[in-house]
Amino acid sequence: MAFDMTMALFRPALKYAMEKNGHGKTLGLKMTEINRGEINLVFPYKEEVVGNPLTGVVHGGVIVSLLDTACGSAAMTVLKTPAVAPTMDLRLDYMHPAKPNKPIYVEAKVYRQTSNVIFCRGLAWQEDKENPIAHCVANFMKVDSKSINFSAIAVTQLRRLMPWGRRATSDKESDK
Amino acid sequence: MSAEQTKHQLEDWQESVAAARLEKCPQSVMEMIPYAAFIGAQAKIENDRLLYWLDKRATNIGNPSLPAIHGGVIGGFLELSAAIEIIYSLDIATVPKVVDFSLDYLRAGRYKTIYAKCNILRQGKKLVNVTASAWQDDENTPIATARCHFLI
Repeated sequence: MAFDMTMALFRPALKYAMEKNGHGKTLGLKMTEINRGEINLVFPYKEEVVGNPLTGVVHGGVIVSLLDTACGSAAMTVLKTPAVAPTMDLRLDYMHPAKPNKPIYVEAKVYRQTSNVIFCRGLAWQEDKENPIAHCVANFMKVDSKSINFSAIAVTQLRRLMPWGRRATSDKESDK
Repeated sequence: MSAEQTKHQLEDWQESVAAARLEKCPQSVMEMIPYAAFIGAQAKIENDRLLYWLDKRATNIGNPSLPAIHGGVIGGFLELSAAIEIIYSLDIATVPKVVDFSLDYLRAGRYKTIYAKCNILRQGKKLVNVTASAWQDDENTPIATARCHFLI
């Protein structure tokens, strides 16, 4: 396979955007593989996201976030120029509850794309990929939006590290 | 964990749910689920119906350049709301198990409070069907709708 220049540039940017920002950072997910139309990520177990206090099983909402992130990222990788592809819908089937204290692995693949729509499939499992905890299908729109400004994200992050930048963001926080 | 302990925990759970119903305080059911605190979801009763809301939080952002709320957080919030609706309003003994979840994204979730309401459409012996709808400015312009099945 020929060297894919776009992916070589896009891979670290996407990894950074997903792991070091907002909800992805809060969850603590790690992207392990990023290729055209295919994403793998892993989520370590966290007690904060338990949904059933009786069993310690993580909440289904976490699985939604993981699969949405993975499918959304996979959809972005098939675009010629990286841009946000809004989710149209997402359907999730929970096969069995996740075991506590074990990482969750997620894989998302784009299996078809047309001029307007990107069709994705996602799978979440723990020990055995053949015995998944959840399966999902998600569709994304191709829209004529501006491509993502990765340098703007980097600047925002950099500003947070500076004392004057931090003050500016905390002002925004209190402005409710 | 021993069977004895599990039984104890279940009894505690049932007691807390019963107390919350008596005090008409769905928020205390919400507080029993750690994931609710993780995203910051809250609940109250308004006009005899349960209203859920999610205040804006930097940790719930999905797209930092807009900024927009993470789609997965909106999904998780709706699934959580549906579960609370079942725990609070139906007379069941344990935590409902989600079987499937289908979500339609209608608009981007802007960086402000999201509200949600749920409807239990059918309760069978084993299965409950719930719909949930989320909005920001106006209830009639939802940002997302969801359907889910729970085993009880």
